[in-house]
Amino acid sequence: MTKPRFRRLLPGAALVLGVALTSTACLNQGPAASSDGQGEVGGTIQVAWWGGESRNAKTNAVIEQFNEDFPEVTTETQSADYAQYFNRLNVQASSRSLPCVVQMQDRQVNDYVKRQTLQPLDDMVASGAIDTSKIPPAVLDGGRGSDGKLYFIPYGIAWDALMVNTTLAEEAGVGAPPESWDWDQFVSYVSQAKDGLPDGTYAVAAGGEEQNAFYAWAVGQGIEVFNAEGQLGFTKEQLKEYWSLWLDLQEQGIALPPDMSAEEPPGADQGYLATGQLMVGVLPGNSLYVSQQTLDGRDGGELQAARYPDGPAGIGNILVASGFGISSNCDNVPTSAAFIDFFTNDVDAQVAFAADNGAPTNTEVLDALTAEDSELPDLKRDELEQYRAISEDNPPKVNYPPGFNAVFQQAFTRNYNEVAFGRLTLDQAVDSFFNETNASLG
Amino acid sequence: MTTTLSAPPQPTRVPRPWDARTQRPAGNRVVKGVIKHAVLLCVLLIMLYPLLWMVGASFRPGNQTFAGLSLFSDTYTLQNYADGWSVGNLNFSRYFVNSAIITIGQIVGNLVACSLTAYAFARLEFPFKRVLFGMVIATMLLPQHVTLIPKYIIFNQMGWVDTYLPLTVPHFFAVDAFFIFLMVQFIRTLPKSLDESARIDGCGHWGIFWRIIMPMSLPAIGTTAMFTFVWAWNDLLGPLLYLPSSDLWTVSLGLNSFLDQTGQSTYGTLFAMATLSLAPIVGFFIASQRLLVEGIATTGLK
Repeated sequence: MTKPRFRRLLPGAALVLGVALTSTACLNQGPAASSDGQGEVGGTIQVAWWGGESRNAKTNAVIEQFNEDFPEVTTETQSADYAQYFNRLNVQASSRSLPCVVQMQDRQVNDYVKRQTLQPLDDMVASGAIDTSKIPPAVLDGGRGSDGKLYFIPYGIAWDALMVNTTLAEEAGVGAPPESWDWDQFVSYVSQAKDGLPDGTYAVAAGGEEQNAFYAWAVGQGIEVFNAEGQLGFTKEQLKEYWSLWLDLQEQGIALPPDMSAEEPPGADQGYLATGQLMVGVLPGNSLYVSQQTLDGRDGGELQAARYPDGPAGIGNILVASGFGISSNCDNVPTSAAFIDFFTNDVDAQVAFAADNGAPTNTEVLDALTAEDSELPDLKRDELEQYRAISEDNPPKVNYPPGFNAVFQQAFTRNYNEVAFGRLTLDQAVDSFFNETNASLG
Repeated sequence: MTTTLSAPPQPTRVPRPWDARTQRPAGNRVVKGVIKHAVLLCVLLIMLYPLLWMVGASFRPGNQTFAGLSLFSDTYTLQNYADGWSVGNLNFSRYFVNSAIITIGQIVGNLVACSLTAYAFARLEFPFKRVLFGMVIATMLLPQHVTLIPKYIIFNQMGWVDTYLPLTVPHFFAVDAFFIFLMVQFIRTLPKSLDESARIDGCGHWGIFWRIIMPMSLPAIGTTAMFTFVWAWNDLLGPLLYLPSSDLWTVSLGLNSFLDQTGQSTYGTLFAMATLSLAPIVGFFIASQRLLVEGIATTGLK
C-alpha cells in the first residue's frame, strides 16, 4: 500500500522541483538593455552602500541634499557593514532584486559583471548623464570590469600604504621614513630599528601574509598580478622570493611573529599599530586617522602614512576604487544616473561627506577638501595630499578577476602562515597556493 | 505455646577508611568550603570577565575604549549611551520594538505550530508517520545556507521583503524541527492513560491537546519559548536580508551599524547598546529558568 502511494507522489515532487528550477532559471536571464541614462528624473530609487553609523550619517546628509535638488525623487536606503553588505548583495543579485544604485569596489566588481547583474555606464557617460570629466582617467579605470566596460563611477579612493609610528621610529633611532624608497632601503630601515624598540614592540607587520603588500612588491617590479585570462600572472619563483623576504624578517625578530600576527584583532582601530606595539603597519592609507585616534587614547605616539617602496618598474602603491553602479534590474536608470552624478561631482555634497570612504576622485572636490579653509583635520588632509601625490604618479591598476574575493586573500594568508608555523615547506605552500587559487579564479 | 521473639543482634559496623572524612572537625569543613567557593568565584569571574569588561568599556570615553584590560577607568561617561540611543535618524528604542515584534511573532508561531505538530507525531496514527517524522528531523541537518537563496527569491516574489512577514509567518508552519522533536519527546513521556481517560470523558483530539497535553507540557513550552527568544533576538542574517530599511532594523542590525571595517567603528556606543540589549535576554532567562531546566532534563536533551 505504501509503495504505490509513494510512487504516485514522485511525479508531483518532480513537477514541483522542475517548476522551482525553471523559475530560478528565469531569474538568471541576461542583463537589461544598456541605457544612456537620459530621461525624466523622478520616482523612487534604492541606494545601497557599506559602512557604519558614521558613514551612514554622512551618506544620508548627501542624499538629503540630492532630494532637495530633485524633490520629485524618493530615495530608499540600505546600508550594512562591508562584510554584511556583500552578504546581502550576493543574495539580492541571485534573485535579480539588487537596489538600483549599488556601491561597488574594484575587488568585487567582476563577480557581478560575470553574473551580468550590473549595467555598463559607458553610454551614460557619453550622453552626459554622468559627468566624469573631473576624474583622472587612470582613477576612473578603477570602475571598469574585466571586459573593459565601465560598471561603477569611483567616488572614493583608498590606497595601500605603510603606516609608521614616527614616535617609535625616533625612539629606535631611525627617524621618519623618506618620501620615497626601494625595498632594500625599507628592509634596512626596519632592521636598524629592531634593537632600539621597547620590549614587546616590533618593527614591522607580517607583510608576507598581506596581499596588499604583495601587490606593491609585484607592481613595483612590473609584474602583472592577474593575467588576461583571470589567472595568477606571477610565477611561483616570484612568490617564493617575496615570501622568503618576509620569512627572514620574522626569523630575525624584526617582523611580527606568526603567532602574534594570527591573534591580531581586526580593524585599523584595534590592531597592533593602534595599540602602539608596532612601528610600521600595513594598512589602507585612509585608516591613518582612525588608528591615530586609538593611539591617542594610549599616548602611543604619532602616525604617518608612508608610500610603499618603489620597484624598478615604478611606484608600488595601487589604488582601491569605490563607487556607485547601476544594477541591471533597475527600472529607473535616469534617476539612478542623476544620483551617481550628484554624489560624485557635487562639491558641497562631497565636502559634507568629508572623504569618508577614501580620497575623492573628483579633482574639484579634492581641491576643496585640501584647501586652507577646509574644515578637515590636518591628519585627514595629509591623507588626501598623499593620495594626490600617488595618483599623479600614474599608479598601476590591478584587474581582480571573478572569484578573487572568495579565495585569494584567505589562500595567500593561510599558505604563508603554513610556512611561517613550520607546517609546510616554502615549495609546498607555493604549490598549494597556486593550485587552490587558479582553480577558483576566472 | 508462646514464642518469644528476641530482637536480632545488631551487626557491628566495621569502620570504613572514608569515614574519617565525614568525621573531620567542623573547622576543616569550613576552610574547605571557603576554598571551594573561592575557586568557583574565581572561575566565575574569569568566565564573566569579558562581559564585565564590555560593561566597563561602555562607560569610558571613546578614545579610551581599548585603553587596557582593566574594568575601571580614570574617567567615566554616559555619552556612549546617549550617542547610541539616538543613533542615526532613529532612536535605538525603535530597534528594540522591531526586535520585540519579530521575537514575539516567532515565539507565538513556534508554540502554536510546533506543539500541534508534535501532538500529531506523538499521539496520532496516520500513514507515513514515521517517514514524515524522519523527514522533519532530517531538516535539522540541512544547513540554512542551502535554503537561503530559494527562500529569498520566494519571499521577494511575494513582495514580503522589507516587512516583518518573512521572519514571522513561516514559524506558524512548524519550520523549526528542533522544537517539534523536543515537544514530541516530551509528550511521549506523558502517560497515554490520561488521553484515554479524557476520551472516555468525551474529549476529542482538540480537548486532549488543550486540556491534558498542553498543561502538562509547560516545561517543554518554556524551553521552546526561551530558545526561540534567544535565537530570534540575536539573529543577524535574517533581518539583514529581509529588513533593508533602517526603520525596520532589529537590535542586532542596530549593533552591527556601529561597526565599519573600512572606516570608523564606534565601539564605545556598540558596547553601551550591547549592554542594554542583554537586559531582555537575561530577564527572560531568569523568568523561565525553572521551566527551561525541567524541559531540558525531562526530554533528555542534554
